[in-house]
Amino acid sequence: MSPYLLQAEGVTIRGEGVTIAPFSCSLEAGGRLTLLGETGSGKSLIAQAIMGTLPRGLAARGQLVIDGEDFDAADATSRRALWGHRLALLPQEPWHALDPTMRSVSQVAESHRHVAGRDRRAALQAAWADLAELGLAEAGGKLPGELSGGMAQRVAFAAASAGGAPIVIADEPTKGLDAPRRNAVVELLARTPEAGGALLTITHDIDVARRLGGEVVILRQGQVVERGPAQQVLAHPQSEYGQRLLDAEPSRWPRPQPLGERQAPVVSASGLAKSRGGRELFRNLSLEVSPGEIVGVVGPAGCGKSTLGDMLLGVMHADSGEIHRATGHPLGFQKLYQDPPAAFSAHWRLARLLDDLVHRHRLDRAAIAPLMARLGLDENLLGRRPGEISGGELQRFAILRVLLLEPCFLFADEPTSRLDPITQRQTLELLVELARERRCGVMLVSHDPALIERICDKRISLGGPASVTKQERDPAMA
Amino acid sequence: MSVALASRTTPRWTVGLGGLLLQRLFQAGLVAWMVGTLTFVLTRSLPGDMAYRIAAGRYGHDMVNTSAAESVRAELALDQPALTAYFGWLWDLVQFDLGRSLVSGEPVITELWHQLGHSLGLAAMAVLLSLLLGPPLGLIAGLKPNGWLDRVSEVAASVLRALPPFAVGLLLILIFSVSLGWLPAAGHGRTAHGVLPALTLALALAAISSRVARNAMADVSQSAYYAFSRTKGLNERLSFLRHGLRNAAVPVVAYLGVQFVYLIEGVVVVETLFAWPGIGHALVHAIVARDVPMIQGTALVMGLMFVALNTVVDLLCHWLDPRRRSA
Amino acid sequence: MKALASTPARRWTLPTLNGRQRLGALLLALLLAFAWLVPWLNEADPARQQLTRILQLPSLAEPLGTDHLGRSLLARLASAVQLSFGMALLSVASAAVPGVFFGVIAGWHGGWLDRVLGSLADACLALPGLLLVLLLVAIAPGNFWALYVGISLVLWIEYFRVVRARTRVLVASPQLEASRLLGFGPFYLFRRHLWPELAPQVLTLAAFGAASAILAMAALGFVSVGLRPPTAELGLMMIELLPYYHEAPWAMAQPIVVLFVLVLSLNLLAGRDPR
Repeated sequence: MSPYLLQAEGVTIRGEGVTIAPFSCSLEAGGRLTLLGETGSGKSLIAQAIMGTLPRGLAARGQLVIDGEDFDAADATSRRALWGHRLALLPQEPWHALDPTMRSVSQVAESHRHVAGRDRRAALQAAWADLAELGLAEAGGKLPGELSGGMAQRVAFAAASAGGAPIVIADEPTKGLDAPRRNAVVELLARTPEAGGALLTITHDIDVARRLGGEVVILRQGQVVERGPAQQVLAHPQSEYGQRLLDAEPSRWPRPQPLGERQAPVVSASGLAKSRGGRELFRNLSLEVSPGEIVGVVGPAGCGKSTLGDMLLGVMHADSGEIHRATGHPLGFQKLYQDPPAAFSAHWRLARLLDDLVHRHRLDRAAIAPLMARLGLDENLLGRRPGEISGGELQRFAILRVLLLEPCFLFADEPTSRLDPITQRQTLELLVELARERRCGVMLVSHDPALIERICDKRISLGGPASVTKQERDPAMA
Repeated sequence: MSVALASRTTPRWTVGLGGLLLQRLFQAGLVAWMVGTLTFVLTRSLPGDMAYRIAAGRYGHDMVNTSAAESVRAELALDQPALTAYFGWLWDLVQFDLGRSLVSGEPVITELWHQLGHSLGLAAMAVLLSLLLGPPLGLIAGLKPNGWLDRVSEVAASVLRALPPFAVGLLLILIFSVSLGWLPAAGHGRTAHGVLPALTLALALAAISSRVARNAMADVSQSAYYAFSRTKGLNERLSFLRHGLRNAAVPVVAYLGVQFVYLIEGVVVVETLFAWPGIGHALVHAIVARDVPMIQGTALVMGLMFVALNTVVDLLCHWLDPRRRSA
Repeated sequence: MKALASTPARRWTLPTLNGRQRLGALLLALLLAFAWLVPWLNEADPARQQLTRILQLPSLAEPLGTDHLGRSLLARLASAVQLSFGMALLSVASAAVPGVFFGVIAGWHGGWLDRVLGSLADACLALPGLLLVLLLVAIAPGNFWALYVGISLVLWIEYFRVVRARTRVLVASPQLEASRLLGFGPFYLFRRHLWPELAPQVLTLAAFGAASAILAMAALGFVSVGLRPPTAELGLMMIELLPYYHEAPWAMAQPIVVLFVLVLSLNLLAGRDPR
């Protein structure tokens, strides 16, 4: 018998414009393997090929050994009997993976009952015990819609692992979670190899890969770019792409140029308070943003980061407090959005949208070409519609559109959270550079404290224990 | 089906069960008011001396005299100013005093009571048949979208949706009564009489509910939670029973509310075609005979039946979908 | 900046139709061509009776035969399609315009205006549509306008609800907020953001609405409370020809087939039900 719990030998995937080069791996008991890559790198497809859940139109080839048994990867149904018993899959976006009409505890209990084969009462008891152990004792009676993302992830983990499968495949387990939740999920995942199982994780998050340890495989466009022990690959990558990927981590970004002397603020607020749905978001919050300054806002989901920015823009009203905006800039207050396609009407070509803006405000067309070149936007993109270009390009187009109005304050609401790390770095570097150059104050929201730490002149953190904590740090002054 | 000025009544789910029932109660009041107002306008707009005409209808042309006409005039309050008469009319309605039929002279309530039984029987049989036909077919088709069953049932549903119930009924009569002679075409009394009208209505209802069920099931079977229920180790049958059925049933049941519009409208036409002595038949007769109290009574009962059926759908949805209970 | 310097000429692009919708459009075009070309090529009067030539089989002189009063079925069917389609078009137009208008207003403005308009729509919905039409028709029997008003009154709600719901989502969306911050006014927001999203749904509703209107008119004709003889109307023709089924099954089948094709073509054209 093979010493490995999970082995893949020359697994390829083909069909509908997708080609995944032969992929092999071996995981023994206690082994950890992490597939790291951007969207479209094919990392999830490899997991699906092993499970036998590839979407229609894609076909896998190659050999698999799972828990001592041989399988032909081409026969997708052959692994069906292993699901839950020997092969467990932690789903992407656990919120959607839980049945919206069934209470959490029942979704865990049914795994104990129908997969592990316990009787009804024992299954229910085991489910409650699982939830209690994961710190979810009070969530058992709730529906998935009433759980937070982190809680849903733990419920899904309990439901997937109740069958006691030794091999766990986790597909983007930290997608959409903020930093503390992310670390909790990593700890949860590490239990499987610690108990003598094998863990295969798919992620785009370098930090998650580093924390999990074991072996790391970097994928790009269906090809393995580099592989090796995590400490080695994630510290001293040999490939050029691996190096770029690593450099995209905020902690490795270069610091922006110093702000220089602070001028009169473009927007300032004092004594701001806001409640939503009967819950106080913040109280007695004061801040100011100077021209060219980058102010970071951090805090857990739902703490009112976007609300704060919208109030500064004048889109939303504060419950109390005062906001002063610099005068003489009727269109000087602009916003960048989290999901670039959502900020555009999908039906019109970009050229048309740009034309609309030029006509509306009698802008100088001559300003467009140099700015486009600066943002790395090709002229041909203008002939396309928002859905037809990449998210990074569209976000840079949004920056272009906004900068044409020569804003004095820009609220950037997680502008890069949907972008790949390399694109994120490129986009934010440009944004910071242009903001400094054009003396535009920026308020940048992010769920990644490291990113804020790196590029912001000042940081506001919301949703702390005392409703609002405010820290200032000014590297330019330091 | 689509004699379908398909109107949709989707109550707002943000309110609790109590609020929901209150909304339906309000709707019932609205129905009564609208029927009352429209029939009142109807009495006022009838041409000629209404009282004489009605009296002639009731007692025969030879028997009409001034006193008979006067008594009719008083009964319908034709001699009063419009506004007074209007409130008097609504007041009678509130007290469920629906008057007497101008044609038969019987109290409207008595007639309605008989007719309601027939109509409810027909409607119940139609709904039951349609539920046996439509949703199961749709669920199976939805498990394999674009499979042969899906395509065949789609074509069948498109054809049925393009045929009004009276045309379907006609075809059924021509096939089963006239050509084959298996079932009676019209009348009532034996169960056999009910088969064709119920089948006509049921086919129309099933054409829609099968597609609603198909779409609901297709959505569910492609959902992340359905995939997860399988990968976590439940077999196909358990996944379907525990996660497929309930989630697919929610939109199907919610859509029943819309379907009842088709049902009520279908009842009018199908009862007339098959000479089924129910409310719809009576309504059409009353309109042709300009029997105002009967028009009011039948329209009122049909409107209230519609509200009552929708209330049942609300309760069913509430019971099926725990999200609504927690909201 | 070539792409910018020369603004692309404004072109009307037809909405892209899928295969099923194309089939529907083709069927509808054929039927309408029939309805408007027949009277033009052949001057038969749909009301002219020839009691010597009743229930005749199709012939060269009478391509579709004659009915129980010797009237030309070809002329009657053409006239009936014109009537049904014309009425459907009229009621769809008079339902869609206020429906979309009030839907946008209610969804955009929100607050009390939304509640008032919403309650108005709910009131129209309290009764099943056909019942409301029946009551209106009872007030003015055999009157085309009563039928038209009743049907429009029921149809507008559908547009109102769909448009209101969609507008409400769009008005709160980042795309609208972004354009507003960029300094664009309400007309621009409607033209660039709302209408492109609403138009396909409105067209779908229009096709379904037309089918519903045609079916409702035929149903009322069939139960003899709609338009009166001698009007050539599909439902009326069916009930008139029903007693002659044994002698002339082909005559009976014609209005059914025409109604079926008319409604089927509209349903196909509508695409997927947005409700």
